[in-house]
Amino acid sequence: MTALLELDSVTKQFGGLLAVSSVSFSIGEREIISMIGPNGAGKTTAFNCVTGLFPLTRGDIRLDGHSLGGLPPHRILRLGIARTFQNIRLFSYMTAVDNVMVGAHWWMKARVWDGALTTPRSRREEHAVEQRALELLDLLGLANYAGNYARELPYGLQRRLEIARALATRPRLLLLDEPAAGLNPQEKNELMALIARLRGEGLTVFLIEHDMRVVMGISDRIVVLDHGEKIAEGSPAEVRENPRVVEAYLGSGASQEMRSA
Amino acid sequence: MNRLLRAFFRPTQKITATGVYTILVIAAAAMVLLGWFLPWFVGPFSEGVGFSPQDAISTAPTGIGTILLYVTGVCMLIVLLSPFVEFTLRARHRALDVRWDMVRAAASVVGLVLTVVVWILVRWINEEPLFGALPNGITTDSAVWLEMYGFGLAAITYGLKRLVLERPNVMFVVGVLPFGVLLPLMFHQAPAFVLWATQSLAIYMLLGLGLNVVVGFAGLLDLGYAAFFAIGGYACASLASPIHGVHISLWMLIFIGAAIAATFGAILGAPTLRLRGDYLAIVTLGFGEIIPDLATNNVFGLTGGPNGISGIDKPVVGSVNFGFNPQWFYWSLLFFSVVVVIMLLNMQRARIGRAWVALREDEVAAAATGINTTTTKLLAFAIGASVSGLAGAFYGAIVSIVSPDDFQFAVSIAVLSIIVLGGIGNISGVILGAFVLTFVIFWALPNLQEWSATLGHTFNVPAISGIDFTRYTFILYGAALIIMMLFRPAGLLPSRARKVELESGIESESLAAVQGRA
Ligand SMILES: Nc1ncnc2c1ncn2[C@@H]1O[C@H](COP(=O)(O)OP(=O)(O)OP(=O)(O)O)[C@@H](O)[C@H]1O
Ligand SMILES: [Mg+2]
Repeated sequence: MTALLELDSVTKQFGGLLAVSSVSFSIGEREIISMIGPNGAGKTTAFNCVTGLFPLTRGDIRLDGHSLGGLPPHRILRLGIARTFQNIRLFSYMTAVDNVMVGAHWWMKARVWDGALTTPRSRREEHAVEQRALELLDLLGLANYAGNYARELPYGLQRRLEIARALATRPRLLLLDEPAAGLNPQEKNELMALIARLRGEGLTVFLIEHDMRVVMGISDRIVVLDHGEKIAEGSPAEVRENPRVVEAYLGSGASQEMRSA
Repeated sequence: MNRLLRAFFRPTQKITATGVYTILVIAAAAMVLLGWFLPWFVGPFSEGVGFSPQDAISTAPTGIGTILLYVTGVCMLIVLLSPFVEFTLRARHRALDVRWDMVRAAASVVGLVLTVVVWILVRWINEEPLFGALPNGITTDSAVWLEMYGFGLAAITYGLKRLVLERPNVMFVVGVLPFGVLLPLMFHQAPAFVLWATQSLAIYMLLGLGLNVVVGFAGLLDLGYAAFFAIGGYACASLASPIHGVHISLWMLIFIGAAIAATFGAILGAPTLRLRGDYLAIVTLGFGEIIPDLATNNVFGLTGGPNGISGIDKPVVGSVNFGFNPQWFYWSLLFFSVVVVIMLLNMQRARIGRAWVALREDEVAAAATGINTTTTKLLAFAIGASVSGLAGAFYGAIVSIVSPDDFQFAVSIAVLSIIVLGGIGNISGVILGAFVLTFVIFWALPNLQEWSATLGHTFNVPAISGIDFTRYTFILYGAALIIMMLFRPAGLLPSRARKVELESGIESESLAAVQGRA
């Protein structure tokens, strides 16, 4: 399996705090890989490094062997890495369909004057992109909310809207930061089915998740972070039995959950 | 502070239907009322003393023709009082009876017809037997026009209430645009008023539309917008005046001015890219101070120093010299405003408009969704500035002289007030805000003295005529702004979104801050 994304001794320091400390691993094409770890382990920080929101202190991140170092977030997205946020970051006062259409922004071709003059090119493209956005909303079960402001949607649907927006960017690699947080069991099942389906369509999925049932259920591989360091990596079965992982989770209650999952 | 600012400058996309309905209802009532009493304020509106319905009634209370006027008066009262009835009911969560809408619409139509009839009788048919001898025997056309427009607007608003509520933007245009086009004709007896409409209303409307792109669409608080107006104004003045001996036609210059202002918009925007909210505001404030200062210091010998550039060319089209026919300036400005409005509406709905709003809502998420925040911001600055360049080109041609005084901080603040007052991000709101605010600043306040004098004289109360309003102009302006913002904090034509926003208030951080670079 060729590596799609490689993290090479990725280090991120905030003042005296090593949020991510020399973490290395790679993600293969069409893999579903999860990152777990206790609160504050540095998982979200790692995502922020990959997507260019945080410059690295040391190390390198490569996509298809090309370094992403120093690229601004929008360039990294255009190379095919899309994400969702742990603390949902939708465009609150845009409608759901407009939120998704923003995802299509970078590959749309209409120039500013096309928009200003509503040239046939702009009109055709707007129409096509809107159709595509509505399809994505439909895929995520949001068809009835297309015209609502993002902030009017219930929490669980906002999470899905973020996924729809990310998918509209035509990613190769999708980063999901705790997509199951706040969902009920039924919604979690739907989420797992969706992730499996996306992989089936050729997408690589990299997710951060606390819910062990979800993690153990869909991951090909799991990376475990603790205090910024990678303490384990392997298949769900391997990670579950790893003594360091059990120790890191001891007392957090999650270890029980992990065994039973 | 930051939170408060952000709450204020959170723009709108959807506009409330009841907002437009309310505005049209109030505008109709105000016009009918003003038309009825206009000669009381005749000085500022008309050079000649004249006739209004109220005048005719006082002159011949028992004349045969006066009966028509009494009926018109009843219609006027219905149009005038019905908003109060309706808004009181609405405050108690009750709706007005649909039949009452028909009564109001019918009264408006009757009022309209009678006004026309009386006007024809007085103006073209000998009025003596009907009304007795009217003062000077002439009409104050503006009064009659206002009366007719007010009744017409009321008829449309009440008769087509459903349509107004369903298609508010279309009906706003239907209700307001004819007034805009007809204004110089309606007030042809008041050249000063036409001049106000040209060099204050139309110019500031363009400025408001431009600033709205930056502040309203993209969410970038710019306190130095007058700088771009100055750049456009000076650039065009120096290319169409004796100062350098260059004389380019205004119709070319508006594009040149827009292009130059857009370039400077991008240049001055560049250093502010990492800033947001209050910080951005302070830096733009700086630009707004520097540009007029440079002009005062006659930078590179281009700007003519404190006296500015004078003798700017007037355009001549065919046999019309705009210098002697300022209404043609007005109509040209109106035409370009409509073009600008159409283009901005298109942009708002297109790819770039979505990118601006995304940027405004969450810069970090926008960047992580593939939007190049740098070019998107610079485009907002450039396009916003280009509109003021257009306005600047016209401004010089209209007033013949540009000087540093024309582009002071007060101008930036007036333009900002226009969009805040009207409803940020909402183009109908900006247009309305321009009308209300320029009317208050450049027409009502300077004329208060004369109005109060007339009022005091009419009612024989010397105390009223004695007040020296010139001393209180800015206090009154400030008080007016405060009162309006207290009663309609989201602007005159706000959106559902903005109303919610004012109640909650959302922080948004800059991409640079997240990346640790700001
Ligand atoms: N921008 C920042 N500035 C300073 N410290 C930060 C910043 N972002 C994160 N940290 C710190 O880095 C550490 C890792 O945070 P991170 O958000 O990556 O944890 P996490 O693994 O995602 O935790 P959780 O499961 O709670 O989401 C924490 O101690 C956090 O306080
Ligand atoms: Mg996290």
